[in-house]
Amino acid sequence: MVKDPVCGMEIDPNVAFESREHMEHKYFFCSESCLQKFDNNPHQYVLMTEDPIGSATTGFNPNTRVLQIELPILELAKEGQPGGELIKKALKKLNGIDRVIVNSTSGIVVVDFDNQVIQIQEIVGVIKKTGYLVGGSKTRIGIENIRCTSCVGFIETELKATPGVLDASVNIATQEATIDYLPEQTTLHRLNSAIEDWGYKTRPALSEESVDQQQAAHEKEYKRLMNRFWFAAIISIPVLITAYPKFIPLVRDWSMTTLRVSWFFAALLTLPVLLWSGGDFFNGAWAALKHRAANMNTLIALGTGAAWLYSTVAIGFPGIFPEGTSEPFYDVVAVVIALVVLGQALELRAKGRTSEAIKKLMGLQAKTARVIRNGVEIDIPVEEVLVGDTVQVRPGEKIPVDGVILEGSSAVDESMLTGESLPSSKKVGDDVIGATLNKTGAFKFRTTKVGKDTALAQIVKMVQDAQNSKAPIARLADTISGYFVPIVMILAVVTFVIWFDFGPKPQLIYGLVTAVSVLIIACPCALGLATPMSLMVGIGKGAENGILIRSGEALQTAQGIKTVVLDKTGTITKGKPELTDLLVVDKQQVTRDEMLRLAASVESISEHPLAEAIVEGARNKGLSIGKPEAFEAVPGHGVIATVEGQRVVLGNLKMMKRENVDLVDLEVKSEALANDGKTPMFIALNGKAAGIIAVADTVKEDSKEAIAVLHKMGIEVVMITGDNRRTAEAIARQVGVDRVLAEVLPEDKALNVHLLQAEGKKVAMVGDGINDAPALAQADVGLAIGTGTDVAIEASDITLIKGSLKGVVTAIEVSRATMRNIKQNLVGAFIYNILGVPIAMGVLFPFFGVLLSPLLAGAAMAFSSVTVVGNANRLRAFHPKFSSR
Amino acid sequence: MTTPQIIVMIGGILLILFIAWFFWLSPKEQTRISTNNNGTQEVAITVKGGYTPDIIVVKAGQPLRMRFTRQESSSCSETVTFPDFNKSAKLPEGQEVIVEFTPDKPGEYGFQCLMGMLRGKLIVE
Repeated sequence: MVKDPVCGMEIDPNVAFESREHMEHKYFFCSESCLQKFDNNPHQYVLMTEDPIGSATTGFNPNTRVLQIELPILELAKEGQPGGELIKKALKKLNGIDRVIVNSTSGIVVVDFDNQVIQIQEIVGVIKKTGYLVGGSKTRIGIENIRCTSCVGFIETELKATPGVLDASVNIATQEATIDYLPEQTTLHRLNSAIEDWGYKTRPALSEESVDQQQAAHEKEYKRLMNRFWFAAIISIPVLITAYPKFIPLVRDWSMTTLRVSWFFAALLTLPVLLWSGGDFFNGAWAALKHRAANMNTLIALGTGAAWLYSTVAIGFPGIFPEGTSEPFYDVVAVVIALVVLGQALELRAKGRTSEAIKKLMGLQAKTARVIRNGVEIDIPVEEVLVGDTVQVRPGEKIPVDGVILEGSSAVDESMLTGESLPSSKKVGDDVIGATLNKTGAFKFRTTKVGKDTALAQIVKMVQDAQNSKAPIARLADTISGYFVPIVMILAVVTFVIWFDFGPKPQLIYGLVTAVSVLIIACPCALGLATPMSLMVGIGKGAENGILIRSGEALQTAQGIKTVVLDKTGTITKGKPELTDLLVVDKQQVTRDEMLRLAASVESISEHPLAEAIVEGARNKGLSIGKPEAFEAVPGHGVIATVEGQRVVLGNLKMMKRENVDLVDLEVKSEALANDGKTPMFIALNGKAAGIIAVADTVKEDSKEAIAVLHKMGIEVVMITGDNRRTAEAIARQVGVDRVLAEVLPEDKALNVHLLQAEGKKVAMVGDGINDAPALAQADVGLAIGTGTDVAIEASDITLIKGSLKGVVTAIEVSRATMRNIKQNLVGAFIYNILGVPIAMGVLFPFFGVLLSPLLAGAAMAFSSVTVVGNANRLRAFHPKFSSR
Repeated sequence: MTTPQIIVMIGGILLILFIAWFFWLSPKEQTRISTNNNGTQEVAITVKGGYTPDIIVVKAGQPLRMRFTRQESSSCSETVTFPDFNKSAKLPEGQEVIVEFTPDKPGEYGFQCLMGMLRGKLIVE
């Protein structure tokens, strides 16, 4: 006996009404109605069956009525969020929920539920209503040849029944399934096999690989264009022979009758060229016409269409034309279409190269990650890595996503993102960026950003947006090209009328040839392409060098910068104090290293930034730090402790006075150090003055060099800081800044930028994205110095990923080079049209007797836009002064 | 001047006037978008030799969702850009791509393909 999966009735398989095979199992049915119900949604009943079918693919065991699921909730871990309680309350109200445990610190909600009463999808829905989102991955899987609508339902049900799936939907139009799932509980492989069980083949979703997809589309389009070109080119040969019989032996001797017959053949041959090879022009022209618009398609379609029509009428009814004008121009049709299509194909090729930078960036992404889950190392696709995962990275491997090192240390090559050629050393607690290369050591890190949030993904997004934005300089070209085509059409009419009314004989031929030439030589494309192509290459070039330019406008403004305002702390300087000077009173009493060692020992339990600088300084010298005893911190004075039996007092002048220490000449020396912008600290051993330790926020190694280059570029450099004038000027002297704005309150920085702008200069402000945000926004161009991961800084027009001032130089260089390129393109395109159109009209004819052949006009038009794209591609050879490669 | 020449002259002038009227002076069809239940203004735009509809009238301050479908392989139209909103989107052939933003200020804003061959206009009221 077997059980009907629908009604549950026990039946004999031999007398069953009907049977069905589903997922390698045979089911028997008692009646037609049960069978119908099953056929409508087999999966529902498979799950209901009490027999432990345990779907081999899903591992789903229907016997366990109560299931437990861990749901990561986004933002739940944030402090002061009432989310946990809200979610608990909401879920408790539902039927079928046994238990809800909220772990706010790890941001996880554990739910025990009866899967026959409530589905995961409902639970997720309820959580959404409380205002929180269940964290998970979203993926798309392509399904090949899915056509039947009912299968869509089956696959959706199957996917939803797969443990770990939060939601699934199949779109028959795009042939793709979109699945929200918890990567900890299922894998892409399982999702794929859930679909494959229904007999469909899966493939990567098209939309997942936009660059590859675009490249493939370009490749296809290139082939399509080249086919059309070759067809037109081959047809052009016999057509050219019949058009210029005088120059071809044998053909020269053909009689007029033979020639006329050959023209009929030419008419037939060029028709497919016109309609197939040149089909795009006619379709495009028609589509534009319907919108009462005109573009380059309109011009080519009009030119070649007019030539073909005239020729056909001329050979068909030679009688209606004046003597000597019934000649065909089929050569114009075939050759012009061949050339213009070839031009489009070449342009496409060249365009592909302009987006090379972005392809390079996207190619940096690691494909897999070695994640440690439940103590087991597993290799998973990088899309499945979650925030909070622990990832193992070995030497020579790519870091898959962004995170913080938990264990181990290494040197990481970040040049691909920051342009910094030296590998940066990373230890526990340091940030690592996805797509960078681990060089020497192995380490484990906890992921902090995955998917769209990684630095790389954000860089790519930002660069793409910027590449497709408009530079203000393009507006003129845009306005002109809006009027361009109708004006050319009017000029063509004018040309025809003038030649017909005032030209030499045969007037009709002259009028027609010149009018067609005018239509064909005019090239609105060159104008339209001039700016976007250069922008694409220029912004990509910036990204290659660690400079993210937010928009075409930012790029254009950057070229005219006359004044650069630099924030001091963190921009010119490292933003962190470092040990700079050690002075001892008497070398017999204590050596410099010994004094530093003792001071560092005292400071080793203090958390003051100055203390950290001293401890760091001692560590860098390889000194072994001792343990302080009887540690005492005197606020506003300094610290006292006993180290290895010696009483060490470390502090300012007040501290020394309090301890009655005789400073000898140390006070004078400390003045000198303070004048240099350093912070001196006195040290006394057993009540006797021992020396001075000075720390200072030191300037970055390359600040001076970068500022010197800015000067050479004719740019005034201003430093702005909240520090006192003495410290500020000391730093200014070191790096060679022209002007110092000291003691500026943070909220007044924007005002100071405004005052500089009031002097009539284009001002760039360089600072960090957070404290200096108002000043960055006030400046004509705001450049934010990043620290590696926070690349998409909102307030800035340009972000320098590498924390070096050299980036400012490179940014301005990129801007100047790109703008120069854009201007070349625009000027070239304008001159081409301004000279080309009158020549085609025949202005040279009265003086030199020369007329432009429509064939040459076609060639000129085809290659003018290729030239523009080619010139933009020249920018790819741009090399910044401070090249990292 | 012969009769055909005079005819051509007059015909030419008329043609010029017609071109100017047709492309610049004649009123163009506008598509007004209504707001749906969710408070979004939604419009489907076909990209084939041009944008259909190409002149779109929307209300200011309400989210605008434009669903672009490109039905041609010509590479010119593969990117649509809204320069005034710093928005752009790649349009793979045959795939619906959604561009969303909220136009805040009333005015006329152009949108176009990267090189400006195809053009449309967004009129925000």
